Amino acid sequence: MTITFQILTALAFLLSCRVYLVLPTSCHPKPPRRYSNKCSLAIFLGSGGHTSEALMLTSALDLTRYAPRTYIISEGDTLSAKKAIAFEIHLQAAEPTPQDYRILRIPRARRVHQSLLTVPPTFMHSLLACIHLVTISPLLGRGTIGAPFVDLLILNGPGTCVTLCAAIVLNKLIGLPSPKMIYVESFARVESLSLTGRILRHVVDRFIVQWPGLLSADGREECYGCLV
Amino acid sequence: MLVFVTVGSTKFDSLVQAAISELVIAALRNKGYTQVILQRGNSDLTTDGGGFGQDPLTIRKDGMEVETWKFKPSIQNDIERADLVISHAGSGTILDVLRSGKPLIVVPNPTLLDNHQEELASELSNLGHLRATSTHDLAETIASFDPGTLIPFPPFDGSKFRRLVDEEMGFI
Repeated sequence: MTITFQILTALAFLLSCRVYLVLPTSCHPKPPRRYSNKCSLAIFLGSGGHTSEALMLTSALDLTRYAPRTYIISEGDTLSAKKAIAFEIHLQAAEPTPQDYRILRIPRARRVHQSLLTVPPTFMHSLLACIHLVTISPLLGRGTIGAPFVDLLILNGPGTCVTLCAAIVLNKLIGLPSPKMIYVESFARVESLSLTGRILRHVVDRFIVQWPGLLSADGREECYGCLV
Repeated sequence: MLVFVTVGSTKFDSLVQAAISELVIAALRNKGYTQVILQRGNSDLTTDGGGFGQDPLTIRKDGMEVETWKFKPSIQNDIERADLVISHAGSGTILDVLRSGKPLIVVPNPTLLDNHQEELASELSNLGHLRATSTHDLAETIASFDPGTLIPFPPFDGSKFRRLVDEEMGFI
C-alpha cells in the first residue's frame, strides 16, 4: 500500500516537473534564426466578432511568409468558413499566388445554452478530435517525424479553442514538436479577461491584451493597444 | 440627412422602440435629420411583441421617414451613407462605424448578463471617440450631441502585430 502511494507520489512529482518544463515562461529568450523562410499558420475562428478579429489579425501578417494556412472552425459555423474563403479570395485578388489554405472543423467543447451536466462528454469528444488533429494526423500523415501540425497557432477565443490548446499541451507533455501559441484577447475586453483568457494565460507562449487595464502584476500579459 | 440605427442580430427591443419613439424622432428632426434606417435584428418593433410583418417596411412617423429591416446582407453601405449612427455596443459594429469615421452614439444593452459590452462603450466614450448613453437618455443625448467634438479613432495598423509574430517566430 505504502509502496503504491510512493510510486504514485513520484509519478505525480515527475508529471508536475514535466508540466512546469513545457509551460512557457514569462521571459522570451531570443529564438534561433529560422532556417526556412516559410511558417505554417493555423488560425482558430471562434464565430461572430471573434472571427472578424482573428481575420483582421491575420491580415496584418506577411502572408507570403505565413503559409500554408489552416482555418480551424467549430462544427456548424458556416459563416466563419464563408468569411475565411472570402478573405482568401480577397488575398488572391490583391496578389495572385498559389492558393494555399484549408479549412478544418472541430466539434464544439460546449454548445450554446448546453446544460453543464452534459458538457464533459461533449468536451471529451472535442478533445479527442483535437488530439487527432494535433498529434495523430501529423504522425501518420507526412511521414516526417519532427514536424508539428503547424508552426504557429493564433487564438482569440471562445471556449472551443481551450480543447485545442489542451491537445497541444498533451502533445508537448509527451515531447512531440508543437506549434507556438499566440492568444489575443478580444478588443471588447476592457476591464476583465474572458473565461477562455483566464484559462489559457499560463499555457500559451504569448498572451496579448488590447487594453492596458488588463495588464497584471505577474507580467504574463502584453499590451500594444488596439490590434484589430 | 440620414440616421442609421442598428442592433446587429441581437434582441434589443427597448433600443428599437426608443429609436422610433416620439421624443427621439422629435430630437432628430430638430437636428435636421430627415430619414431613419432601422436594422432591428431579432428585436420586436412594437410593444405588443411583434414586428410589422413586412421586411423591409417604410413607415412615416411624426413627419420622419423610417425604413425598417430585420436583417440586411451588409450594413457597411448604410454606415457609409449615414450622417449619424446609433448602435448597440457590439464591438464589431463599433469598430466598423469608428473606422468609417461616422459620428456614433452607442447604447449598451442592460439586459445582457455578462455585460462587458458596457465597459467597451464607456471606455471609448471616455476617450472621446463616441458617445455612450442609455435608451432612457437617448433623446437628450441626441439633442446635446455635437459630432464635431469627437476624437477620430486611429485607422487599422497591422505593423505591431506583424512585428510581434515575426519576432516570436524568429524572423526578426
